[in-house]
Amino acid sequence: MNSIDKQLAAAPRNQLYLGTIAIILAALFVWSMTAVSFNQIDQNSLKIAKNIVHGLTHPDTELLFNVSKQSVLYLLLETVAIAFLGTVVGAVLAVPLAFLAASNIVPKPLSWLTRLLLIIIRTVPALVYGLMLIRVTGPGAFAGVLTVGITSIGMLAKLYVDAIEELDTRVLESMTSVGCTTFEKIRFGIIPQLMSTFLSVMIYRFDMNMREASILGLVGAGGIGAPLIFAMRSYKWDQVGSILIGLVVLILMIEFFSNKIRAKLVRG
Amino acid sequence: MIQFMNVTKTYTNGTKALSNINLTIKQGEFVAVIGLSGAGKSTLIRCINRIHDISSGTLLVDEVDVAKLKGRHIRKFRRRIGMIFQSFNLVTRTTVINNVLVSFVPGLPLWRKLTGIFHKEHKIKALEALDKVGILDKAFVRVDQLSGGQQQRVALARTLAQNPDIILADEPIASLDPVTARIVMDDFQRINKEMDISVIMNIHHVEIALEYADRVIGIRKGEVVFDGEASQVTQEILQEIYGGKWEAEKAEMEEQAAYV
Amino acid sequence: MFDKLFPPKKMMLPGGKIVLQKRSRTPLVVLILAVCTVLSAQFTNFSFPVLFDRIHEFFTIINKMIPPDWGSLSGIWSPLLDTIKMSLLGSIIGAWIALPVAVAASSNIVQSRIVIIISKALLSLLRTLPTLVSALIATFVFGLGSMAGTVAIMLFTISYVGKLLYEQIENVDMGAFEAMESLGMTRLEAFRFAVLPQVLPGYISTSLYCFEGNVRYAAILGLVGAGGIGLLINEGLGWRDYPAVGMIILVLIVTVYAIERVSEHFRKKLI
Repeated sequence: MNSIDKQLAAAPRNQLYLGTIAIILAALFVWSMTAVSFNQIDQNSLKIAKNIVHGLTHPDTELLFNVSKQSVLYLLLETVAIAFLGTVVGAVLAVPLAFLAASNIVPKPLSWLTRLLLIIIRTVPALVYGLMLIRVTGPGAFAGVLTVGITSIGMLAKLYVDAIEELDTRVLESMTSVGCTTFEKIRFGIIPQLMSTFLSVMIYRFDMNMREASILGLVGAGGIGAPLIFAMRSYKWDQVGSILIGLVVLILMIEFFSNKIRAKLVRG
Repeated sequence: MIQFMNVTKTYTNGTKALSNINLTIKQGEFVAVIGLSGAGKSTLIRCINRIHDISSGTLLVDEVDVAKLKGRHIRKFRRRIGMIFQSFNLVTRTTVINNVLVSFVPGLPLWRKLTGIFHKEHKIKALEALDKVGILDKAFVRVDQLSGGQQQRVALARTLAQNPDIILADEPIASLDPVTARIVMDDFQRINKEMDISVIMNIHHVEIALEYADRVIGIRKGEVVFDGEASQVTQEILQEIYGGKWEAEKAEMEEQAAYV
Repeated sequence: MFDKLFPPKKMMLPGGKIVLQKRSRTPLVVLILAVCTVLSAQFTNFSFPVLFDRIHEFFTIINKMIPPDWGSLSGIWSPLLDTIKMSLLGSIIGAWIALPVAVAASSNIVQSRIVIIISKALLSLLRTLPTLVSALIATFVFGLGSMAGTVAIMLFTISYVGKLLYEQIENVDMGAFEAMESLGMTRLEAFRFAVLPQVLPGYISTSLYCFEGNVRYAAILGLVGAGGIGLLINEGLGWRDYPAVGMIILVLIVTVYAIERVSEHFRKKLI
């Protein structure tokens, strides 16, 4: 046996490991296949698909551009308003929760409890909040604002916490030595450090909230979702087309600008 | 045999990289190409395996007109020409042997290409190639854990596994310290002599070039200004190749060597 | 522009030196944000009196959810498993399809500009479409049930994984790719052996992360008839059977948390 054969025999064997993972994945795949059935696809669905594509490519331009309370532009504006105000509400509510969850500010058990609360808030689907809040405000955009606000809390607070835990505390020490009060320390020592991160996180969340706000109409919480589902249920695919085109263009535009502003914030 | 006949290369932005090159390199020669950065050394080498296209003239490699090759035939042609790079160009996240095995990929059936499972025969050939450059014991180590010199030898082994007639080397020792550089150059020399593989090398270190190469080609502003045996190279010739900047170049090189 | 409208403030130090201080932009930003907030509040009929007057309703509902109705647990398992299956299947297929699409969108692998532009446009279009909307459209084509939900999740996964993957591919070190080409590989072969090993850990990690999120999304798809546990939530809220909804939410929280833990474990191993 020469040295080359020896090395060949010494090759690490990870086939067993990779093989096990492959088998587990394949098993999961087959198992999850049991959830879907193809027998509902027939001639009819093909026709509907064709209608949908036709509608999307031949949008109702009248609906897209006229200026009334049913027009796409008006509804989009309402959606932006919901997303914006919802982000503000969420951003405000998230601040106290974030400080309560930051392990360098409050005792460990309290921070752990707050984190648990945040996980719970984050996991409840947005539409469930929507349905619950409609009982509070009645149907309409107001419910949408509150829903967007509550669903934003989870992510906003989590990202705030990361920023708070990275706070540079040496500044505070030096301020104490100069004789600053607690309020002064917060105003000139902490807020300047956190502001740009918080703003950047908020803009990012606003971007996401546009998507959230556009579906809330499904449960009657305002925005462009309601007319969208209404047009679908009545098979008016040209209207669906114009609504979707408006929505896609708006979201892409907001994404573009929010990326620009955030890049600027990071650079300072 | 590689023949350049009136070869000219102009880039799309108008820069003339090579003008009117005439060269004949016989099988088994060890050629060093020297010159200032930007003189066209890299372009000259990359034209041989058609990484760059030539603009006019004829370039023959073993009677094959390189400029006329297309698609599949280019790739088949490249199989016979190995290439070594300044920055090694290895896949650092994977093992040494996997980096050598890629040499066999073009001939494999589709399922092997997709899964990356190689034949035992190929594995033995890859290990033999690693043995020839003296790093057999590193076969199953990840490349990013090797030193620069070891990485360049992995690249050499990859090229050897290809079983090439010609090896093109683009500044192979520029990223290495002087001691490692000599070890790698010894490898090149052994490969050149024992396996009768032509080596065409761009090189910045003139002393090393003169020591190892049989033949030196000096390039200045895209033109061949010297072509002859290494022993014929004098200070005056270097002055010409480096356009009066030879003293500065030399000083800089000595300074670099002093730091290592 | 800003500096021209509001020229920097000049300050004279006692020593006679002049220092220029740029005007702070903060007041302007705050003003704009305040105006937007007020306008949005009017637009959406936001009102604090209504909020304070009726917010107790919200907590009444939450109160009714606790304690949850343990008796309804037996009916939850099957739709919950459906939800997991939907997100698993959609994620696996979507992640597979994302790979070729991402390659087609990478400017350093594909040479045809048209292919790159079309693939990139397709990915951002898919990403913009809210999952619920694509699920709704899918219910019209594939009928009510998990099939529609799976398709919607698959589309989202393609767009999400595809975008992150092509960004990774475009940032990869191309040296090895050049070496592969020089030894006679096609561009696709060179991608397989030079680029894929570099992006594979990131690709798998992104796919796992996407799967985590997909479980969350899948939970609501039932509201539009696209299968899974959302249907139960919708029914429970409709019938005002809040203890049952509480049970579903509790199960959902535990499931999502467990999946996140497992997936995070594997993602940490990859890096």
